Amino acid sequence: MFAFIVRRLLSLLPVLALVLVIVFSLVRLIPGDPAITLLGPGATDSQIAALRAQLNLDEPALLQFWHYLTGLIQGDLGTSLKSGQPVLSEILLRLPATLEISIAAVLVAILVGTPIGVLSATRPNSFFDHLVRVVSLTGVSMPAFLLALILQLVFATWLGWLPVSGRMSSYLFVDHVTGFALIDAWLSDETGAVKSAILHMILPVTVLASFLAATLGRFVRASMLETLGEDYVRTARAKGLSRREVIYNHALRTSLLPAITVVGLKFAEMLGGAILTETIFSWPGIGRFMFEAIRNRDYPVIQGATLVFALLFMLTSLLVDALYAVLDPRVRRKMN
Amino acid sequence: MIDLIYFLKRNTLAAVGVGILALFLVAVIVGPFLVQSPIAIDMGAKLQAPSPRHWFGTDNFGRDMLSRIIHGGRYTLAIGILVVGIAFVIGVFFGIVAGFTGGILDMVTMRIVDAMLSFPALVLAIALAAAFGPSLENAMIAVAITLAPQFARVARSQALSVSSLLYVDAANALGLPRRQILIRYVLINSIGPLLVQASLNVGSAILQTASLGFLGLGAQPPMPEWGADVSANLAFVRSSPWTALGPGFAIFLAVLSFNLIGDAMADWFNPRRRSQIG
Repeated sequence: MFAFIVRRLLSLLPVLALVLVIVFSLVRLIPGDPAITLLGPGATDSQIAALRAQLNLDEPALLQFWHYLTGLIQGDLGTSLKSGQPVLSEILLRLPATLEISIAAVLVAILVGTPIGVLSATRPNSFFDHLVRVVSLTGVSMPAFLLALILQLVFATWLGWLPVSGRMSSYLFVDHVTGFALIDAWLSDETGAVKSAILHMILPVTVLASFLAATLGRFVRASMLETLGEDYVRTARAKGLSRREVIYNHALRTSLLPAITVVGLKFAEMLGGAILTETIFSWPGIGRFMFEAIRNRDYPVIQGATLVFALLFMLTSLLVDALYAVLDPRVRRKMN
Repeated sequence: MIDLIYFLKRNTLAAVGVGILALFLVAVIVGPFLVQSPIAIDMGAKLQAPSPRHWFGTDNFGRDMLSRIIHGGRYTLAIGILVVGIAFVIGVFFGIVAGFTGGILDMVTMRIVDAMLSFPALVLAIALAAAFGPSLENAMIAVAITLAPQFARVARSQALSVSSLLYVDAANALGLPRRQILIRYVLINSIGPLLVQASLNVGSAILQTASLGFLGLGAQPPMPEWGADVSANLAFVRSSPWTALGPGFAIFLAVLSFNLIGDAMADWFNPRRRSQIG
């Protein structure tokens, strides 16, 4: 297992190098002098010179890339033009908030999407199956910001059942320990903090989970239908096992394996969706941070956040591969 | 053609998609002659609720939302087709050449594709659009670049399988120039799955470009682009929800119609899936 992960990490290196080249090139894509564009009108000559020096713009491109790489290894993602703080610490401060809703959304999506996929595969072309198809196509076609807006209007503004935005009611004082609102609330003495944290999470998590559940449901259905047509499933039925036993013990396990890959890939897309969702719900994660950076033309932050999103994605796909190897004996045998 | 009509009859969802698209086409072709200007400001009539005079209400500047949505539809249709077109040309060119040539060129191209697919699509589009500068054209180029790797992947695998076929060997043996083989034999015989890929991507091209517009990286005011209109009206959404929900639903319906059609096209080209539809 260990050897497998090491080999997989090594195979990621060329891709990682190219990802770094892409992220590095982003600032250099800015037409004209990036320093002048970044600082905007009204910047003094000395400010421009200082930024040029900070970005090493006067050096040849290769040397600039070298500086960028050595900086990265030391955890230097640049400095935010808006706040003057290091980008890395700004991002790390907001990462737990994004992970909190993303992880919750993945769990919800798996719990909802899998049974839906199985049920519609075992009743192909039933009313339920068609309904699932319509709902999932709707889910895939819905802009994240529209769903977020509708849910916010209905459940927060009109019905008043859930909070409109934010992570915690403002009258509660919860210490920042882990950065995860739910865990911090649980650790604190404030009564009602846990409830408040959960209530604030419901809407953003629903928005993020709905896309993943829609795709996952459709994928499980297709994969399950394929498995149900396999010879060994027929053999199991012929041996006299009940339909239920065949579906849950034989077919489901095989058809869920490829679903892991889908969850991994869609998780990354969901992180992109977090930018839109966090913006609507004023959720203080990396997504909203990136939105503010776009508004302020704070390019080092956009660059840093882009890199963090790419790294999270690569890490997820590595985890998915490892999980796949653990769960599938065929892959495990090929590995050794 | 008869087959297609029969297919649409059996496949209600695809028919719904075609229906929405047809309505959408009529609205963007005829509509602009029937409504007032999308940028005519009337401060006396700002934030009015939907009424017989303004079917979809008015925004903060008293501009008619129906007119803005209809004019925005022209942009949206152009966005969907152009973005996928650009992505198709870039992706298919690199994919086919890589798959057909093989060797080091193939390896380098595919590693670049892998690297680009290591970014969440929207994140890469945001980073590119922010670097190019906020405008609708730049947002479209950014989205096209993020969609291109998928076309490159499909094109490469098609080129690989087609290149190994006997008629390509025969063309080689006849001494046809490589460029001619590439275009006349490999590209033409790979086109089916590429068109399916294209039809599946029109919806996401529209969705991504609208998302960039929503984030302020696409169309700039006063252009009546749907995504930009949703975010411009966010501040008034509690008191006047129609201002943001109108263009929002327009995006949803346009994307839905293309997704329904793309989904049906994928079924159509895949006989195994075709038989499952009732």
